[in-house]
Amino acid sequence: MKTFIRGWLAALALCAALPAQAELKILATTADWGALASELGGDRVNVYTATGALQDVHRVEAKPSLVARARTADLLVANGAELESGWLPILVRESGNRRIQPGGTGYFEAAAQVALLEKPAKLDRAMGDIHPQGNPHLHLNPRNIGPVAKALTARLVALDAANAAVYQQRGADFAARWAQAIARWEAKAAPLKGVPVVVMHRDQAYLCNWLGLKEVAAIEPKPGVPPSAGYLGQLVTQLGASPARMILRNAYNDSKAADWLSKRTNTPVVLLPYSVGGTDGARDLISLFDDTLDRLLAVKP
Amino acid sequence: MSLFTTDLSILWPALIAGLLVSISHVPLGQQVLSRGIVFIDLAIAQVAGLGVIAASGFGLPIEGWGAQAAAGTAALAGALLLTWTERKRPEVQEALIGILFVLASTAQILVLANDPHGGENLKDLLAGQILWVSTEQLVRTAVLTALFSVVWFLWREKIGRIGFYVLFAVVVTASVQLVGVYLVFTTLIVPAVATYRNAANRQLVLGYALTIGSYLAGLAVSVVTDLPSSAVIVWTMALLGLFLHLATKATPRPAEA
Repeated sequence: MKTFIRGWLAALALCAALPAQAELKILATTADWGALASELGGDRVNVYTATGALQDVHRVEAKPSLVARARTADLLVANGAELESGWLPILVRESGNRRIQPGGTGYFEAAAQVALLEKPAKLDRAMGDIHPQGNPHLHLNPRNIGPVAKALTARLVALDAANAAVYQQRGADFAARWAQAIARWEAKAAPLKGVPVVVMHRDQAYLCNWLGLKEVAAIEPKPGVPPSAGYLGQLVTQLGASPARMILRNAYNDSKAADWLSKRTNTPVVLLPYSVGGTDGARDLISLFDDTLDRLLAVKP
Repeated sequence: MSLFTTDLSILWPALIAGLLVSISHVPLGQQVLSRGIVFIDLAIAQVAGLGVIAASGFGLPIEGWGAQAAAGTAALAGALLLTWTERKRPEVQEALIGILFVLASTAQILVLANDPHGGENLKDLLAGQILWVSTEQLVRTAVLTALFSVVWFLWREKIGRIGFYVLFAVVVTASVQLVGVYLVFTTLIVPAVATYRNAANRQLVLGYALTIGSYLAGLAVSVVTDLPSSAVIVWTMALLGLFLHLATKATPRPAEA
């Protein structure tokens, strides 16, 4: 048995060793930050993404490759604001990798680069906000991606000075493309302003905030806790009196609750990718927002 | 070569965790099977989880030892309840365990519904994953397993029914946090089922051989295929267990040994 394992491990080591040059090894916690790291690093970085687009980033199945990458990574690109608090601290601590410990140059948090929504003014347990640092789903406002990209470029330059010029070039290129795209999206999305929508829970807050969509209700006000019968009844009554134009559902959300409410209230469900890879159309960061807007505008002419 | 050693060092903690869990669960599983209470570990795990959630509902700190104390206390209470029901209604003990499982799971939902702190993280507090076992957890479980072994292998006749349930509650509360509920169930039940037709004095040895082989092979397959380790080990143990059962079927007595 032991020789069997050794044989396999040796074979695996060979496979892993072949493509590995002096690339910067990056471990990204979500598909979106992985996509950003690839945009900015190009062929100078090797990006491993911990969660797929359709997985809930709150929980992660432990795969050997994930633990292996945590041990060898030069840079950890995390979302932060407690999005990954269920698994990342343990993984980082047990990795024994000094480079990616919080506070070091190899530890990067997107949430630290922008102002978060729903940040409680004072920290009080009784207020009951789940995320004391604010709502962590910040990537759904493209205006947040710009500052994160800038900070991540600076980090890549600091970590890999030999390729500094490449990173700066790519960073400037991305910033220009991103600014153009934002202008295009905002012009296109103008008719969405003020449209009343129902959300699953708070994970669409940044998108609604950016587009000026009016969140009139949330189906699951507490993530992970099914809504009560009384709450759902009240929701149906409320939407009967003042209807919403659409129900937003993320690709990773279960469809049952949204479909149920859709049937009761005759409100269409709009499936949104939420993340790069969430739908076939969302292949990278730019097409993530293209696809999101196309889907929203298909309902609201 | 350095990558080779890196890979091996990923697997060591997981393998040690698997071996520690096996030491206590293989003999416990034989008892559980013969008493006809195979779902007791799922019920105890849910009760322990309920203890943690309830403690946080009362505003108690739920990090570190606080959570352990809450989980342990709840599991012990559940174990004592099951000892009592086995005495009063032995003929429906398995059904009562099923009811306890459902009650503990739904009580978590009810407690969380009124807890403004919500809690997807809380729910997962007791769900271990074999690949991110910490050294601290391993040490804690090693001590517990040593204590278990002394009690079980030296004084099993003396501990009685209460002793069995209490021991079970403590061991399972620790192991669920170490390797997760699927592996706990599998390590408990599969070796017992695979070897129940073998001679009594060989069941333990065969059971240990099966679990050790399964953790080794399962982790190796998980590395090669890069699939989640817990699920791969569960399937490896089930398949190897079936193989063991069929291969030793013709020899219910230790004749060929």
